[in-house]
Amino acid sequence: MSVRTIIVGCGAVAQRLYRKPLAQLVKQEMLEVVGLVDPAREHADAMLPAFAGARHFATLEEACKAAAPELTLVLTPPHLHCTQTEMAFAHGSHVLCEKPMANSSAECVRMLESARVANRVLAIGMIRRYFPAFARLRELVQSGALGPLQSFEYREGHKFEWAVTTPAAFRPRSKGGAGVLYDIGTHALDFLQSVFGELAVQEYADDAAGGVETNIAMRLRSADCGGTLNLSWDVPQVNELRVVGATAEAVLRIDRFDQLALGRRGAFVPQPIDVSFPVDLDRNAPRRLVPRSYADAVLCQLVQVLRAIKFDEHPAVDGQGGASSIRLLEQALSKASPLPEPWLAPREQAAAAQLHRSGA
Amino acid sequence: MNNIAIVGAGGFVGTSLIESMVLGGNTGARAVIRSYRNMAGFCRFGDAVDVRLADATREAALAKAIAGAAVVVNVTTGPPAGIVESTRAIYNACRTAGVPRFVHLSSAVVYGDVEQPIDDDAPPLDKHWMPYARAKAQSERWLRTQNDPDLEVIVLRPGIVWGVRSPHTLGFARSLARKSSFLVDGGAHVFNGVYIANLVAMIRAACDARGKVAGFYNAGDAERVTWREFYEALGGALGCDPAQLPVVSGDKFPWSTGAVIDAVQSLGPVNALYHRLKTHIPDGLKAALRSRLEGAYNFDRHATTYAPTASVDRELWHLQRVRHKLPVKKFSETFRFVTPVSFPEAVSRTLAWIESLGLAVEKPSHSVEFSKASNE
Repeated sequence: MSVRTIIVGCGAVAQRLYRKPLAQLVKQEMLEVVGLVDPAREHADAMLPAFAGARHFATLEEACKAAAPELTLVLTPPHLHCTQTEMAFAHGSHVLCEKPMANSSAECVRMLESARVANRVLAIGMIRRYFPAFARLRELVQSGALGPLQSFEYREGHKFEWAVTTPAAFRPRSKGGAGVLYDIGTHALDFLQSVFGELAVQEYADDAAGGVETNIAMRLRSADCGGTLNLSWDVPQVNELRVVGATAEAVLRIDRFDQLALGRRGAFVPQPIDVSFPVDLDRNAPRRLVPRSYADAVLCQLVQVLRAIKFDEHPAVDGQGGASSIRLLEQALSKASPLPEPWLAPREQAAAAQLHRSGA
Repeated sequence: MNNIAIVGAGGFVGTSLIESMVLGGNTGARAVIRSYRNMAGFCRFGDAVDVRLADATREAALAKAIAGAAVVVNVTTGPPAGIVESTRAIYNACRTAGVPRFVHLSSAVVYGDVEQPIDDDAPPLDKHWMPYARAKAQSERWLRTQNDPDLEVIVLRPGIVWGVRSPHTLGFARSLARKSSFLVDGGAHVFNGVYIANLVAMIRAACDARGKVAGFYNAGDAERVTWREFYEALGGALGCDPAQLPVVSGDKFPWSTGAVIDAVQSLGPVNALYHRLKTHIPDGLKAALRSRLEGAYNFDRHATTYAPTASVDRELWHLQRVRHKLPVKKFSETFRFVTPVSFPEAVSRTLAWIESLGLAVEKPSHSVEFSKASNE
């Protein structure tokens, strides 16, 4: 039986990440896309050819009433996630909500409560949990293969490449935007917590100077070790996560699905990457896939949500997990200081410090 | 000066210019960009930047986007095939919108390897193997034929723009960290560079100047620096001793399979086709292709051994053959301009930036040793 599904928000995320894997699941009769919700008709129209039976709705309320969805995919800007998720639950639907879960912990609490009252699945879209090299690193660290943990260093940065259709993405969070912290930072912190357990922010700095942050640096601490996180929207970083243990060091390439090495300086050995995920709804012997692309990873994520609905399995990231990342982001912002930019002239550094977070 | 419209503001020069204006307390920075995603570099300044969408090759849209500006600065990047078209469109849009001054960024590459001393008003080379250089030269030649008395055109001709956010500098830093760089003729020739903050200061001087200042100007740092000195300045912090890098002769280009591919790709029609295909390939596929082509990944951030032979990039080989520093006297005299950042200071700032990217092996010293610099 295919799950009646609606897509809320038919912009870049829906078109570039979700369309293809959803079409594959429709073909396999695992789900059926019955509604495309977007106030901009042209966005929905771009998705329609892939989903013949779907209808366009201008609002979620209309879609919930007319289409009676069993699963709602919330792919809208983050400031809309909370109210849309609550509405979907109120109509009895399960929800997969794209990251970040919400704009604040208070909103996360509302979403969790409405999921509990409705007794429905709340899953958060964190496709990197389905990158096989990421999953393998997690296994290695948690199995103790590196020995007692000493430190980690996570660096990710590149020119922003999403073909956004409005400037909203770069506006303050209250207006639907997000800086690099809520954009890439959500992924990074979710993954780091999945590897190292609960983290606490010790220090946080960013370069927001009247707008949203483009570069951030953070010092974190888990129960076992400390580490750093650097993210950028305008400068290519080395794009690696390095985990140093007493007996070995692991290097994960953040920009690849399948590259992870273990060893020591001058003697790193690439690791075989064969972590797979279920891609059907057979409870006992599911067909599995080693994701090699974003589309593969989204497919695995969607199947896991369907399995959570059907078999009561756990989604990779549930509402509690999503809320935990948001709490960490808030903790970081509560400690925000100006990012040191020693390459600027002293008077420019002073001006940047004065403008710091003035537009937040 | 307020009301400066920066066409191509999403690139690193544009972002640095906006940064300088906003942090300098200037209001009226207007970013003219082709797509909203190009806001990512300067969105940290929020509403201090007025953002307008316009394709740099569409004259009518540009005229609307730049209307009311006192100066238009062209810092667009993109495929060589579009450079002449965008130069014309921006110039014509300035005329349509009644903008009185147009600051256009050309490139020192229009003079090739600068075999002989050359002055700012010398015409660009007629022929060049590199499509980018040909297009920049053609744009300069076209601008020389324009003579609207109500539109003052200032052409700046920077050498290698280096320093913070510079893709060239990042490339140099990565290859030094991998110990895979090379030096042509032992690095004896001229590093014809301009530190980003110096270029930004020159652009701002060109925007702010009063009186008639139209003309063609080289844009460079004050000091004469060789490639060996440049690599020595950066190498230490990256764990690389330039004295151990392979030396390549500057007499004859060492052809390789990669260089032949580059040469074929530089042919006009092939280059245009390449860039057209590049534009239409989805970003994800592009990234996948790039990483497949990059070869085995070095999980050591800093290589432990030096490459015995160099893989020689043709553009870099030519840049390392430059015999003469392009003079910046004309700009200094016309605009009463004093280069604000010295080479040692620029190196120090650049190393601080490289360290922030995690590429430095150790915290760089802020007292960079520099012995052979001499002011012009």
